[in-house]
Amino acid sequence: MNVLIVEDERSMALEMEAFLKKAAYHCEIAFSGRQARQLMEANPFNFILLDLGLPDQDGLDILQQAKKVCPEASYIILTARGNLEDRIRGLDLGADDYLPKPFSLLELQSRMQAITRRKSGLKDSLVMLGDFTVDLQRRNVLYNGYEVDLSRKEFDLFSYLLLHKNRPLTRVQLSSHVWGDLSDDDYDSNFIDVHIKNIRKKLVVHAPVEFLQTIRGIGYKIKC
Amino acid sequence: MLIVKLLSKLTLFTALSKILLVLLFIWLLPGLVKDVASSYTSANLQEQEKKVLTNIRRNGIDFYFEGDSSYGSYTMLKEEYISLEPVPAGVYRDSIQTSRRIIETDTMDYRILTHAFQYHNKTYLLEIGKTLASIDQYTRPLQKVALYALTLLIVLSLVADLIFTRILLRPLGVIIRTKLLHRKFPFRETLSPIKTSTADFTYLDNALIELMGSVKEAFDKEREFTSNASHELMTPISILQTKIENLMGEESLSDDAQDKIAAMLTTLNRLKKIVTSLLLISRIDNDQYVRKDTAGPGQLVSEVARELEDRLAARNISFTAGLSGAVIIKELNHDLLFQLLYNLVNNAIRYNREGGRIQVSDSVESGNYILHIRDTGVGIAEADLPLIFNRFKKSSGAAGEGYGLGLAIVKSIASYHHIGVTVQSKPGSGTTVNLHFPQSMILPAATMQPLNA
Repeated sequence: MNVLIVEDERSMALEMEAFLKKAAYHCEIAFSGRQARQLMEANPFNFILLDLGLPDQDGLDILQQAKKVCPEASYIILTARGNLEDRIRGLDLGADDYLPKPFSLLELQSRMQAITRRKSGLKDSLVMLGDFTVDLQRRNVLYNGYEVDLSRKEFDLFSYLLLHKNRPLTRVQLSSHVWGDLSDDDYDSNFIDVHIKNIRKKLVVHAPVEFLQTIRGIGYKIKC
Repeated sequence: MLIVKLLSKLTLFTALSKILLVLLFIWLLPGLVKDVASSYTSANLQEQEKKVLTNIRRNGIDFYFEGDSSYGSYTMLKEEYISLEPVPAGVYRDSIQTSRRIIETDTMDYRILTHAFQYHNKTYLLEIGKTLASIDQYTRPLQKVALYALTLLIVLSLVADLIFTRILLRPLGVIIRTKLLHRKFPFRETLSPIKTSTADFTYLDNALIELMGSVKEAFDKEREFTSNASHELMTPISILQTKIENLMGEESLSDDAQDKIAAMLTTLNRLKKIVTSLLLISRIDNDQYVRKDTAGPGQLVSEVARELEDRLAARNISFTAGLSGAVIIKELNHDLLFQLLYNLVNNAIRYNREGGRIQVSDSVESGNYILHIRDTGVGIAEADLPLIFNRFKKSSGAAGEGYGLGLAIVKSIASYHHIGVTVQSKPGSGTTVNLHFPQSMILPAATMQPLNA
């Protein structure tokens, strides 16, 4: 997967690149609108992550042009939080998603994966985990063809842990994924424990769940 | 105390004072008329006296006597009479007085001029009289006419006064209408001075404009600062967050290091949450949300309940929404309203007891639609009630927990929509938050169907 990161904040761009590289994305970085155009004309991209606050050009103009040059690419707009007009216009102009800054890299990857899944249809949406099958498209967990009854939030959590498997996720990271802007620090994080407990309870009646680990003092991870 | 508009007071005062004056005048009128009439009559009598004397001087006294020893004459209805007769020599005083005379068979009151004079060494007495009835007869009709005429004049002058006062006070009305009534803080538009030639109003108006201007300026500055500061903080927070997240993904980290990094991330998240909330509040204050959505309260409540169903279940709290479903709320921002209700219901869960209840109900009171969110939680001490919507105010409660920015956001969103918020609470037994939606936001729903979350 080829990703173009258009972001003028250098260290931010580099962190994004480092993270996505680990997740097996191939990244190019453009620090300005001009650079972005050059790169787009030279390479095909699967993803274009576009910061709207560029110094040399209006981000939405770039989006409009880019849609012509790279119509196949998926676009995620990264912008200062709450620029509502940007968000609405960006989505109108054909962006696939919108992520307000500051965002979590984990969340970014999750959004990218969701877009990929949406665009590729049913392919690759089944993940085997222990004795369970997770259907990311239908959003359910199956054991021997039986559906394990997880609530929406529980599935959100579970699939987020699964996406970032082998990586410890903090309660705060989990709660801001599940509740987004509505998440309310400490209090919400405690609910993560409740959810995980419920998920374990619901899964363990079918098969062992050693893959779902508690990391003391930090949070949880799925190991596989 | 009864509060009355200045215009009404002035009108009432002028009307009353005029009526009083007219009544006084009418009461005084008979006396005045009598006075005027008697002096007029005296003048008249004196004129006739002069005429008689002139005649006598010119034509001799026989002009009247025509051989008789005295002369007397009266008009047909005896309203006036004249008599001239010789009297024994002596001192006679000229006078004009009122007395009774009998002429033929009629006894009548006359105003009588008496004048004695010498003619050919003889003394004569001249008497000219005029009936009082003929004087008095004008008083009544005069009074009547005066009453009519004055009433008409009063009405006319009242109308004139009213119009003039209205014109005079119009600038004051404009000041009240444009600068004082329905002013909602923060003031958005700049104020323009009113047009008036009355110095007092100009002074008042300028003072108000200046005052409101400086309040607005101070508020704008604070708003701008909050907005800029939050905005500027976002970039470093973004960079920090990505750096820490990448760091946490390093497999080579010791457990201890990972622990610390996770703690950093949590702290950073708290910072992010505060800044985000401040930015949200400042965006609301800056009018950056469109209020064009329409939603049924039942729909909003069930969206929130759905979002929070896991929490309700986790704490075994029963949630019931018994809404009439008879209204639709318009001119709202759906996302903001959702957040408002989310924060309230989330608090109702958070401060509830295990196995408690949350009830959402509604009512209509004098045209306003009211949504009640009642919980069976720990409640809020009365002394804390006024503080709960303040940013960063800490409760004095034992837990020392702040109400945080959640309720400050509720307040901002509510006032942005002109929704009134009232809270009743009893420590230990629960809290009810009431949202008063103004009539202007309410539409009757097309169909009556109870909505249950």
